[in-house]
Amino acid sequence: MREKATTLYFGPQHPGITGNMMIRLKVEGDTIIKATTEVGYLHRAFEKLQEKRNWLQSFTMMCRFCVPETDPMEELYARAVEEIEGREVPERAKYIRVMVLELARLASFMLWYGGQNGSLGLYTMGQWSVGDRNYILDLFEELTGGRIYHMYIWPGGVRRDLPKGFEGRVLKTLDYLEKRLDDYDDLMFDNAIFKKRTQGVGIVDKATAVEHGVVGAVLRGCGIKSDIRIDDPYEVYDKLDFIVPTSDGADIWSRALVRRQEARQSIRIIRQVIDTMPGGSVYNKIPNPQKWKLPKGDAYVRAESVRGEVGLYVVSDGGTMPRRVHLRGAAYVHGITLLEDVLVGENIADVSAIMNSLGTCPPEIER
Amino acid sequence: MKDIKAKLTEKIKASFDTVSEKDYNGNRLDFHVDVKIIPQILTFLKVNLGYIHLSHISCVDWLEEGEFEIIYILWSPVEKLKVFVRTRINREKPVLPNIDMIWRQANTYEREMREMFGIEIEGLEGAEEFLLEDWQEMPPMRRDFQTEEYAEKTFWSREGREDAIDVREEIIKRSREEIPDFAKKYSR
Amino acid sequence: MINDKNSQKIVDIIQNWARKHSIWVLAYGTGCGAIEIPPTMTSRYDAERLGVRGAATPRQADVLLVTGYLTTKTLKRVIRVYEQMQDPKFVIGFGSCTINGGMYYDSYNTIKLLDKYLPVDVYINGCMPRPEAVLAGFGKLQEIIAEGRANGAQKYKDNLEWYKANQKKIIPSLLTTDYNW
Repeated sequence: MREKATTLYFGPQHPGITGNMMIRLKVEGDTIIKATTEVGYLHRAFEKLQEKRNWLQSFTMMCRFCVPETDPMEELYARAVEEIEGREVPERAKYIRVMVLELARLASFMLWYGGQNGSLGLYTMGQWSVGDRNYILDLFEELTGGRIYHMYIWPGGVRRDLPKGFEGRVLKTLDYLEKRLDDYDDLMFDNAIFKKRTQGVGIVDKATAVEHGVVGAVLRGCGIKSDIRIDDPYEVYDKLDFIVPTSDGADIWSRALVRRQEARQSIRIIRQVIDTMPGGSVYNKIPNPQKWKLPKGDAYVRAESVRGEVGLYVVSDGGTMPRRVHLRGAAYVHGITLLEDVLVGENIADVSAIMNSLGTCPPEIER
Repeated sequence: MKDIKAKLTEKIKASFDTVSEKDYNGNRLDFHVDVKIIPQILTFLKVNLGYIHLSHISCVDWLEEGEFEIIYILWSPVEKLKVFVRTRINREKPVLPNIDMIWRQANTYEREMREMFGIEIEGLEGAEEFLLEDWQEMPPMRRDFQTEEYAEKTFWSREGREDAIDVREEIIKRSREEIPDFAKKYSR
Repeated sequence: MINDKNSQKIVDIIQNWARKHSIWVLAYGTGCGAIEIPPTMTSRYDAERLGVRGAATPRQADVLLVTGYLTTKTLKRVIRVYEQMQDPKFVIGFGSCTINGGMYYDSYNTIKLLDKYLPVDVYINGCMPRPEAVLAGFGKLQEIIAEGRANGAQKYKDNLEWYKANQKKIIPSLLTTDYNW
């Protein structure tokens, strides 16, 4: 007997949703037959506001685009402005940038560990990993003054040099986190329930991935080796040695495996950066921000975040303010069309896990 | 990189007439094309030349020139080259061909463009409202929409924000009075 | 026997004491401030020792934590959620943008003053407030609950018309029914 289809509103106020968005699910029994996303709850018109700010003022908005991982956006903006202006960046600043980016990645992985497991009812992981994430945020606080919004990587370099003995404290934290990552593995990947609930769920195969323009860990989870840090290297990533993990399962489980590897690679990169960091100055002075004009031109730059490729398109019309700043988040692709297609045929209980696995981050979609 | 760019330009020019290119440093190449051949050139790039990844679609409002500029940014994982396909359309009656049959995710970009710039996309599916709700004014991302004016008109401001009186002197004066004697020697 | 004025006072004190120690926060991340809630709730800051914990649905929650800027689209849902919550209920405005708009002061899509639309009991300022600040905010809320001054819900009932007029000014399609308590 066919069951009657019902409409279920998943969000915006829902404990399982990864941010402030809504999915209209059409369900038959427990199975989803159609999903429609509705976004826009977080649209605060950054791109409009940035047209009304000067180049330095709009830099302070960049980190607020997506809160789980704020540094890639700052770095993108800085790099785009440098590309338009032709400004040189000191070598040491590039190394510090990579270190900050990788620390931010690590912090974001910790949050993902908590979210992914929380969505399946394994709350212990949240207590562990979000608690341990504070150690990274402490480092950020020491370096930049803020836990979440750093505003540290700015056009021309970074805002200030590392404090005395900072490298040692980073290494100490990394040693601790590396040990903890093994504990997480015991809890997560040896867990029969986690295995059962994630294997074969939320399939994104190669054909779908190409059709949708999927990026990041989701693409690597279906067996395609792709990473902006290697394909289109920026800062000093081409001088560093790291591997890009892939997995063939194309489900939540294999994406989790990819991210598990990537967290360890981040630790490896930070260690290399600290080992090989040169001396020297950390920024080239920018002119008076009130009168700072950029030449006419545009730039599209990309970086690899935890969720995947983030791109930023910046246009200058030769004035003191940006003509257009347009962010392309990974979630912009994953969170709307891909999510709608992947959810069809899944259970209601798995929606939250799939959203976490695809890296749906509404503030990045809506901007 | 030079050879790849030259080869690509040659192939594109062989198939399409009204195309002009501009070369940049690094792995970037721009093509200025007419709006009519957008679906054809993008399909050609995707199917025949391996530019399988649509990285970005952006729109810039050139109010002074009365035109919108649409930029499609493609990426080839094999050739490691960013290709910008740029086109300009009239600002008064903007119409753009739909490309979401080539890349599924283009649908999201086009829905946003339709709402934020008021560009009509031929045959686009999906709800009219994307990010905004009950929006009455002109499309907000157009340059002539004044966001501060609208915000002043619609929302209240906290009192004390309009006057730009410098109160720092006053604060220092008041705080000086309350400093106890023993702490005087530490004050500024 | 409770009709006696003094007895009522004692009942109030006991009630407020109990309420103060079970602040259940609605799990609704309305803005970017939601990122500092997981650290506040987990092992290092552990807000649960103060009786603060998450509640999944509005009917079981005591506190609506408005974490950051509110777009007009979200405001509509937040009002709906607030009206679904049962008494006693409190509102905490979290972050500078709920106080005066913060850095979104000229945005066409975000409200600037939360207290024009919902009765706010405690504001936590900062962008973004640290978990310590959040804990201090909860502490302040506990304080005013214990003193019986957290009467936001009563204020909302008394001035319902004023609040509704403000809300309808920016949300033309406010679909909530007109309540009469």
